[in-house]
Amino acid sequence: MTTSTLKERATRATARRPWLARWSDPDDTTLAVILLAPAAILLGVMIVYPVSRLIYTSFLDLSLTSGLPPRFAGLANFRQMPDDPVFWQATWNTVLITLITVPGSLLVGFALALLANLPFRMKWSVRLSLLIPWALPLSFAGLIFGWFFHSEYGVVNDVLNRIGLPGVIWFNSPRLAFAAICLAIIWKASSFMAMIILAGLQTIPRSLYEAADVDGAGRVRQFFEITLPLLKPTIVVALIFRTITALQTFDIPYMMTGGGPGTETATLAMYIHQNTVSFLDLGYGSALAVVMFGLSMCVTALYLRMIRGGGTAS
Amino acid sequence: MSATVSSGIGSALSGKPLRLIAAFVLVVNGLFPALWILLTSFKTEAELTQKPITWLPHAATLRNYVQAFSDQPLLTFLFNSFMVALLSTALTLLVSVLAAYALARLNLRFRGLIMSVIIAVSTFPLVTLLVPLFEIMRALNLLNSWTALILPYTVLSLPVCTLVLTSFFEGIPRDLENAAMIDGCTRFGALFRVVVPLSAPGVFTAGILAFVNAWDEFLLALSFNSNPGLRTLPVGIQLYQGEFAFPWPVISAALVVGIVPVAILIVIFQERVVSGLTAGGIKG
Repeated sequence: MTTSTLKERATRATARRPWLARWSDPDDTTLAVILLAPAAILLGVMIVYPVSRLIYTSFLDLSLTSGLPPRFAGLANFRQMPDDPVFWQATWNTVLITLITVPGSLLVGFALALLANLPFRMKWSVRLSLLIPWALPLSFAGLIFGWFFHSEYGVVNDVLNRIGLPGVIWFNSPRLAFAAICLAIIWKASSFMAMIILAGLQTIPRSLYEAADVDGAGRVRQFFEITLPLLKPTIVVALIFRTITALQTFDIPYMMTGGGPGTETATLAMYIHQNTVSFLDLGYGSALAVVMFGLSMCVTALYLRMIRGGGTAS
Repeated sequence: MSATVSSGIGSALSGKPLRLIAAFVLVVNGLFPALWILLTSFKTEAELTQKPITWLPHAATLRNYVQAFSDQPLLTFLFNSFMVALLSTALTLLVSVLAAYALARLNLRFRGLIMSVIIAVSTFPLVTLLVPLFEIMRALNLLNSWTALILPYTVLSLPVCTLVLTSFFEGIPRDLENAAMIDGCTRFGALFRVVVPLSAPGVFTAGILAFVNAWDEFLLALSFNSNPGLRTLPVGIQLYQGEFAFPWPVISAALVVGIVPVAILIVIFQERVVSGLTAGGIKG
């Protein structure tokens, strides 16, 4: 009798052990599932579900102002785009901003990084002057640069006047307004670029330059044959990140020009925001967002291929 | 030319004058906008409309700061920004510590795939979430609530934090953990008693990145929380402008108030922030 209860207990214990053990001292697979579950759930709820909903909505005629129930509209939202001049304008502006500010912030960022890499005694001041622009909210930067380019009381026109040039009414002309926006974006983005490149520069061993010195290679050759090739992977990654961010440009033009004059400086993100939040036309807003999603997924795919491919980037 | 100079050592050109010029360029480029706003915040409105414009305030006043708090609920904006950033940072850290530990320590069969997913998410355009989240939050009656921002901000920072933390965890010797487990700790015990305390600097770095991300975000905050009582700082700042009036000294004062908290964080923890940025940005 006692033996049977002991046996019973033993079987009960072993039957219970896996469940208990799984929680208190789990094996790798179980543990991985437990640890990754919160992240997976979050991504599912906040990205996978919204994106599928976005794609679904892009086929609907769903305008909250009309008061009508959502109606399946097929490709109507997408067909509307080619005939929509604002769509073309906003897309063109977005592409142009990307084409100008990505190389622009790379060049400025590279120059800043090379300057910051000089042997300074007060490293913290250099570091701060790269970190503060990064930490300054984009919307603040837009507001501040909008003020800089103010035609009457802006500091840019003041400097122009002081060196004997006439001031300019920046925000009346589409081209000048666009240029001002690009300058602000380049300023804001270049400090992050500089930090990434600076970190890359500091990993290049000095011995390489010393060896090149011994071999009689000049500074220019050292730059093109040591610095640049070794930094290439870093630069590629930074460029792709910048490209994706540039495609989403919203804060700076929104704060500086509000898209004006007219819709001349509007970006795709601003147009999506306007259709969704102001016009409450969720169907068309979704279709526009699908275009944006496609654009940035192309860049992401390129990026993943480069870093997973390994050799391609270096 | 200066480009090539910096890469060499002992060159005649990288002497003191060049370094001084370089430091001047860097500091002016980095700090001028913030400095300009600081100067403007001490000017009177009358001085602002003088021509030619003045650079240094003639009759410095603190009235703009008083007005910044009395004209609009600036404290409320600060509080909203702070709470949304703090809560989303806490949530991001909790989720990414767990995920990063799995990626750094366990022999996962799909590690490469999971890493790719994380990197893909780090490049995810937040704009595309605008429409569906607007729809969802509207249906759930969550527009004008902290939740409407905390959840998307958590997702926004999750990839960067996970990458930063993964590289930190990888730097902690496994032996320490094994020793703890031999002494009777469970795996979770080892994670929270050994790994997390040792990676406190990494957790902190990831936390700052998440906090700054949330503090800066504008598009979703603008779209979801338009009620003045729930506006975050970047959105609230807009309320100072009238249709034609642009009270710049007051706006500048409000901007300074908004910049200072993050600037203090950055000044104190600058080295950690830089290391976090480069680890999260380059690590793949």
